[in-house]
Amino acid sequence: MQFTLTDDQAALTGAIDRIAEGFDSIPTEFDGFHLPGEALEQELEAGGYFDISTVPEMGPICAALAVERLARLPCTAEIALSMLVRPQVGDDLPRPFALLENGRPGRFVAGAGTLLVLDGDGIGIAHPAAGDTETVESLYAYPMGRLTGAPDVRPLSAEETAKARNWLRVACAAEMAGLMQAALDATVEHTSVRKQFGRPLGTFQALRHRMAECAVLVAGVRRLALQAAWSGDAGDAALAAFHAQDSASKITYDLHQMFGAMGMTLEMSLHLWTYRMKALSSELGGLGAQAASVANDCFTADNPY
Amino acid sequence: MEFDWNDEQRTFRATVRAFLNDNLPPDWEALAHGPGSSAQSHFSKQFCAALAKAGLLVPHWPAEWGGRDADPWTSFILAEEMWAAGEPRGGQYMNVNWIGPTLMRFGSLEQRQRYIGPMARGETLWCQGFSEPEAGSDLAALRTRAELVDDKYRVNGQKIWTSYAGLADTCFLLARTSEGKGGISIFLLPMDTPGITVRQIPSIIGEGDIHEVFFDDVEVPATAMLGGEGEAWSIVREALALERVGIPRFALATKMLHRAVDTLRKESRFHHSAQVQAARAKAACEAARLGSYSIIDARCNGQIPGPEASLVRFGTVNAERLVSDFVVEHLPEALSGGDPVMLAHHQRAIVAGIASGAAEIQLNLIATELLQLPREPR
Repeated sequence: MQFTLTDDQAALTGAIDRIAEGFDSIPTEFDGFHLPGEALEQELEAGGYFDISTVPEMGPICAALAVERLARLPCTAEIALSMLVRPQVGDDLPRPFALLENGRPGRFVAGAGTLLVLDGDGIGIAHPAAGDTETVESLYAYPMGRLTGAPDVRPLSAEETAKARNWLRVACAAEMAGLMQAALDATVEHTSVRKQFGRPLGTFQALRHRMAECAVLVAGVRRLALQAAWSGDAGDAALAAFHAQDSASKITYDLHQMFGAMGMTLEMSLHLWTYRMKALSSELGGLGAQAASVANDCFTADNPY
Repeated sequence: MEFDWNDEQRTFRATVRAFLNDNLPPDWEALAHGPGSSAQSHFSKQFCAALAKAGLLVPHWPAEWGGRDADPWTSFILAEEMWAAGEPRGGQYMNVNWIGPTLMRFGSLEQRQRYIGPMARGETLWCQGFSEPEAGSDLAALRTRAELVDDKYRVNGQKIWTSYAGLADTCFLLARTSEGKGGISIFLLPMDTPGITVRQIPSIIGEGDIHEVFFDDVEVPATAMLGGEGEAWSIVREALALERVGIPRFALATKMLHRAVDTLRKESRFHHSAQVQAARAKAACEAARLGSYSIIDARCNGQIPGPEASLVRFGTVNAERLVSDFVVEHLPEALSGGDPVMLAHHQRAIVAGIASGAAEIQLNLIATELLQLPREPR
């Protein structure tokens, strides 16, 4: 057990921090449902960051750290699947990656180079042509799209499917960890300055304790996500995704509550994180599907350690 | 980052498990109904003595005091295995975790020579005289007084919720020698001193766990004071920093959860809603486990645990609650004549948010020190 980063890992997270600092602000005139991050994506692509998982000194743990950090940004780009899933299913496949689940609209589907098509228990791979997808107006803070054409879908083997599902879960948990942290940070900032009854909201114990409980959940989601990225174990991945989706429900409700009506406005931007969390909450079958996998994979040992 | 044990740690855990296997009696699970119980406390004396002989009681203590200077992982692995086994060390876990190290750091030569050897040999039980009827979370409000009369202190007052007091040999007592937070001193007080009365408080958390302790004109030599007059607050703060992670409660909670799931599976009762609850409890246990490890890792790197320790403490309370709720809902017989370990776990779990300081205090610390929210008005 060792939680400090190696020199290589620290150098990588330092570089990601420096990139993130350039994308940390929201344009003053912005009032959209999602903030596109094309420039961020281009910078990551140019620096080869989508392939860090395949570098032996880095590995998936570094990719998970990067995904978590970049998810804290207000803008969004297709990062998590490219960094954590693509290296496991085929690092020669064109990105961006997107998940198409049971025919529903999905994140980054419009313009995806590779679609992971989830249909029941199976996963297939498709490469949509230009006219095969279209964008969809959405409350979610991702660019959402749907499939309109019928590209060929290559089914993955059972082994490949299990592997893809594991890493989709890791990607979900790592991204959730960053989103939660950023939403909590924004709420702490808001309640530290917003005054009612003559003092900052953040001095009221009813709210302080709820934010502290959110912080406990965020720390847990992050640790479980990193453990799953480190081990690649099916049980760890299912547990991390479960905890992320389960915690997201409480956290989004609590944090919006603390922002009051201001949190409902596009100007306030809390939705840029919480409405990404909501989108991720339903993915991969949602809480019920993760729980079934946890039940299957996490209670096998008589002695848990 | 590394989420696995090294060979040395695996070997050590296996050694501890083998010791437990060889030294716990066949009826241990029925006996282990609370670390404060009379049966368990008496067993603990022979068990801890054997543990000491095997070099497994205080491995993290300095060699000078009977240890081998092992790192914090060693004592934590030991603590995990002991707690998961129903804590056969009984109340002596406090000696090895913080009372012994605190005496090493602040005790006089006479105090160290008198008390540390018996602790290292597993021969002695201590209790912690902190809480009072009017001073729980607000410990600084304590009223028990120690007045200097000639060359002795005379102690009058009352403690409450004192674990292990009925069988303890010595009390680590906080008493007021003058007014204010800076007016509290520590006394190391033999429990057979005339004027001490102990009453067990019947409770739902098990036999021998909580007591009232009355002090009526108890005479204490000035040499029984630990540190200087009025130094209790700073010493206790440092002592409890050794306890920041606290008991590895997640270890028994996880074991009980796995046992409950196993039972439900065998009876074909592990249906979908139970799976969701089990996953929720497992995630909380695992988050508490990894959080605790991050604190141990920080200590190994010479860092003093900060407010992150409060996150872990509160996360552990969540885990205990979710596991005990899971058991009560799906295996309610555990509380009425069923599995005695599940009963014992339930009794430990329901006080997780109260023992060693209310969980709300941890939330206050997280809000102020970690989130840096503006302070509440006082």
